[in-house]
Amino acid sequence: MADPLGIEELDQRISEVKTEIRKAVSAQDFAQASRLRTQLRALEAQWHGALELAESSVSGKPGNMQLPVRETVHQILTLLAVPAAPRTIVAVHAAFFAGELAGSQLTYLRRDEERSFRTAPHGRPYYLCSALTYDRLTAARGLIAVSSWPLHRRIVGTLSARVDYLRSAIKLAEHIDRTDRPSPAAQRLLWQVAAGIPNASASFGDARPASVIEAATAELSVHDDDDRVQREQAARRARKQLGDAEQLFGAPTLSAVRKAG
Amino acid sequence: MSTQLRLDALRGSGVIAKPHNARTIAALTRNPGCTRRAVMDAAGVDKDKTAAATGHPASIGKLSPLAVARGQGFEARVKSQGGAELLRLLRENLGLPIPQAHYLDLGGDDDSVIGGRYLRSRSALAASADSGPDAGTLFDHPMLRLQIAGVWVYLEPDMVAFRLEDKFYIIEIKSFAIVDGVADPGDVTRAAIQSSVYVLALRNLLADAGHDPNLVADQVILVCPKDFSNQPTAHFVDVRKQLTVLRRQLARMADIDRLLDSLPDGVTFDLAPDAHGLPTRSAADLAHALRSVEARYAPECLSACELALFCRHDAHDAHSTAALGRTVREELGGVDCTSTAVALGTGTLVPTDDLVQAAETLRAAHALRTAILGQLA
Amino acid sequence: MSTLTSYARALAAETGQAKRLGTVRHLHVHDRPLVIVPLTLAGETNAPVAAMAGSQHDKPTVIVAGQPRMRSKRLDFAAELAEVVLPFITECAQRIEYVPTGRDGSEMRTRMADAPQLWVPNPGGISYLRMLGRMTRLRKTVGEYAVPLPVPEMGKWLTWFAEQSEFADTSLLQATTRALSGVWATGQSSVEDGNLAALMAWIAPPPGQSGAQAARRAEDPVTCPPAGPSTDPTFDAVVLKPALDAIDKATSDAARARLLQRLADDLTGQLQPTWDLVWQAIEALRAIPAGNHVPHRWERDRDNFGGYYQHLASDGRPQARRDNAERSARRLNDLERRLALYDAQRAFDDPMVMAEYRMGGDAFCGNVIHAEPDRTVKPGNRRQLRPLIVVQTTDPLRLLPGDADLTDQQRPKQTATILDVQHSGTATHVTLELSGSMGRGLTATPGSVPERGGTVTYSRLRTGYSAPGAFPDRDSIPWTHGGPPAQHIATEDDAREEWS
Repeated sequence: MADPLGIEELDQRISEVKTEIRKAVSAQDFAQASRLRTQLRALEAQWHGALELAESSVSGKPGNMQLPVRETVHQILTLLAVPAAPRTIVAVHAAFFAGELAGSQLTYLRRDEERSFRTAPHGRPYYLCSALTYDRLTAARGLIAVSSWPLHRRIVGTLSARVDYLRSAIKLAEHIDRTDRPSPAAQRLLWQVAAGIPNASASFGDARPASVIEAATAELSVHDDDDRVQREQAARRARKQLGDAEQLFGAPTLSAVRKAG
Repeated sequence: MSTQLRLDALRGSGVIAKPHNARTIAALTRNPGCTRRAVMDAAGVDKDKTAAATGHPASIGKLSPLAVARGQGFEARVKSQGGAELLRLLRENLGLPIPQAHYLDLGGDDDSVIGGRYLRSRSALAASADSGPDAGTLFDHPMLRLQIAGVWVYLEPDMVAFRLEDKFYIIEIKSFAIVDGVADPGDVTRAAIQSSVYVLALRNLLADAGHDPNLVADQVILVCPKDFSNQPTAHFVDVRKQLTVLRRQLARMADIDRLLDSLPDGVTFDLAPDAHGLPTRSAADLAHALRSVEARYAPECLSACELALFCRHDAHDAHSTAALGRTVREELGGVDCTSTAVALGTGTLVPTDDLVQAAETLRAAHALRTAILGQLA
Repeated sequence: MSTLTSYARALAAETGQAKRLGTVRHLHVHDRPLVIVPLTLAGETNAPVAAMAGSQHDKPTVIVAGQPRMRSKRLDFAAELAEVVLPFITECAQRIEYVPTGRDGSEMRTRMADAPQLWVPNPGGISYLRMLGRMTRLRKTVGEYAVPLPVPEMGKWLTWFAEQSEFADTSLLQATTRALSGVWATGQSSVEDGNLAALMAWIAPPPGQSGAQAARRAEDPVTCPPAGPSTDPTFDAVVLKPALDAIDKATSDAARARLLQRLADDLTGQLQPTWDLVWQAIEALRAIPAGNHVPHRWERDRDNFGGYYQHLASDGRPQARRDNAERSARRLNDLERRLALYDAQRAFDDPMVMAEYRMGGDAFCGNVIHAEPDRTVKPGNRRQLRPLIVVQTTDPLRLLPGDADLTDQQRPKQTATILDVQHSGTATHVTLELSGSMGRGLTATPGSVPERGGTVTYSRLRTGYSAPGAFPDRDSIPWTHGGPPAQHIATEDDAREEWS
């Protein structure tokens, strides 16, 4: 076997193969493109190997001292006290927590939790679960909630997105108010949230916790009653119609029913 | 034979019609005079595959994954948390009352229930039209449909229908920037024509539910990043002109039988794919079938139609003046062919009666070039 | 477009070779231009990915934005580009010349002896510079979000260049495709001419290939990368996006450095062919003789350059986000006046341009077959010298008896009025009455009036001074037009906008 390629040669080979892939893609020769991609993956693996070899004297990565993703997400959801989308969770994490949390780390979280629940129901103190749509009681798209919350807080009615936005704004403001010296990132997050609430921020880039709480509470009082009625009705229905797992992870969708049947 | 059967035959055995979306429907309005395109689109022929099979793969329709990611990222931001950003814009710019903060996601992850999703969208929007504004403000991902060449085409727009007082508006979210109040006119035009597809489809939906279609405004709300930031800004865009163009083209396609009548018997664009989906039909045979349907190639096709390179190739073989630009053909006195134009200019061809005037102009042009440019001509 | 250009396109298509449109070029080609080839991230508003810049073909500076998706990196990129652009501008402002001014030319004023000329591949490159100028000129150099001083400085200059390029007659900022299309017609459409590689392929095909063949080959984005500012979508999919993602995820500095190096090499590979084409185009254009008025227009470009240089030195405030009503109106008036003047100068410099007017019937060229140089008329109390000539032309005339204010380039201050038009066979006889610029008495100064047998070209085109439109003072603009414009004051928002 020939000597392994040096990293410069690998760089060059990778660029060449990529040019070949572009030619194949342009000509719509997808079989060729796929062969080349396999070749490219092999080269990139070699590249990483060569790089590690070159770096072997350098010490390895520092040990990961962060909480597991599941715990971090639970903490954030507890802070917000409402069902939240991954991008919101990532934004809050960036403002209050050290380390990195990528949206991609949350992709399979809920599915894993569901699997765990179905294997050993109620085996954990809490599960990261779904929010449920008020009309069909199916999992609301893209929202993560906590199983220990009362069911009606996990229901999403037509006003719930707004209500939850305001509630989480209040919680964020309270949290920042309690923090001694909030980070610039935290203050920026508060301002961004405040910008969406009438009379919550004084000027561009400037939001005080007290005024955010006051403004959010004022708008909340407009929507709260209607929202609660819709949510509680749906929650009653859910308790009557759904099993334990479905109450946490949503009624099966039509297609899932078909596949099962 | 029914229209549907005739279109199926054009597309080929067992091939599912290529689904339309707002972009492809908007593209129908470009070059409306082209029969080849009208027929292929009506039949749902995959023009991209067809072009590749003739040896002239399309140069358009390739989107940069970077642009796609940027578009999706901006849209997700604008719509996140119940459209909090949208509500802010609508409250600030349109005076949307505070109590109207309803947000209903009509989207679903599964396309096997498209018809059901359409019904759900219809009932939600109809319920809103029936009752007061409390019955809904923002409707995300409504499922809509339009009839194209006699076939219902479902549209799953990433847009929001928005109700203010007694009007519904289409909100179109685009990631091109509006810098100092000005956006790229080409981008705005493309957005306007796509939105007009939604306006028409939403009108159909309300009419379908027994409501006045004119509840849908002929202005749409365009939401774009402001300046160089990620902050959204909203502007009204009038789409009346685009609606007229779109209606005219859809009416033309509704009358597809007339175009089909003009085709030779037995013509088909079937690629006869093998087990791996690779076409087995010969390029020459396919090209022959394509050529039996009249095309009207112009350089603008290059950015609008997957088949453009095939048609350009033919236009060049025919020495077409229109292939140099529609105005070029006009300025050459309507002469179709560059060889004819030059032969008339040099005087080596005696003009037919209809070209006498054109020939005079071309001779003058040729004489001036020779006299002034001499060697350089 | 016109019949003559369309005919030239047809000729090019038939012969497979590009055809000259005129006898001269109408733009100034600098001895040492600054070429900038920018690439930007698809889907973003002015996210620079890379650029090649410099004033020597063999010494380009390559600038690569390591992570263009991070906004702060865009300003780092701008700072690097400023290091190329600003010294170049300063260098052009090193010498001044003195030119006579005033009524009798006894006073002197100064003018920049040189001006910078920028070249980008295509009109998209101009939009790019305008956007980059807009993004950087309002930045602050102190306080939060501060940027290095050269960043807003370059922003102001790029904005100025982009504004100037809207005038038809300037040579300060050139889009290469546009400059080439002014000189050559190809056998493809103007849409296809927008592709620099294909356009140059028509003009200078490789040996053994026709322009048409070479142009088809040049359309392959893999072998001939697009001239930007957008990159080829398959390049984005296969090279750029994976590279940016990998740089994001790199676990060590060494890995990041290697990935950045590979990306820089790949981007250089995308830039180099366009860079070469722009320089090739500049040389091709330089080889064409310049029209007579080209130096005059370049003088004005130098005047304008000096004016803005002075403005920056004395005031230095950036251009406002938007023009106010007053500035827009003045600008529109300037655009129109300068365009009319440019059209006339081109027609006088280039018989092919004049031929366009002749084909359209707005100008005619012919021989003087009869002349009455001493003809006088007495419309009122005073007898006046009004010579008369008859011109025989074969041009398709659209002008009618009574049409006045026609001039011949050789006698720019003498105007002619058409008295009569007679057709005889293929020729047309035009009787013209002349006035002005023929001496004071009742006898024309010899040589001041066209003589029998001479060749003349009459049209309404003129290159003399035309007064700018009258506009109210800024304080007396009526409220219907927005009232007196506010002075532009840069705000905090301007400085921080894209961080929000």
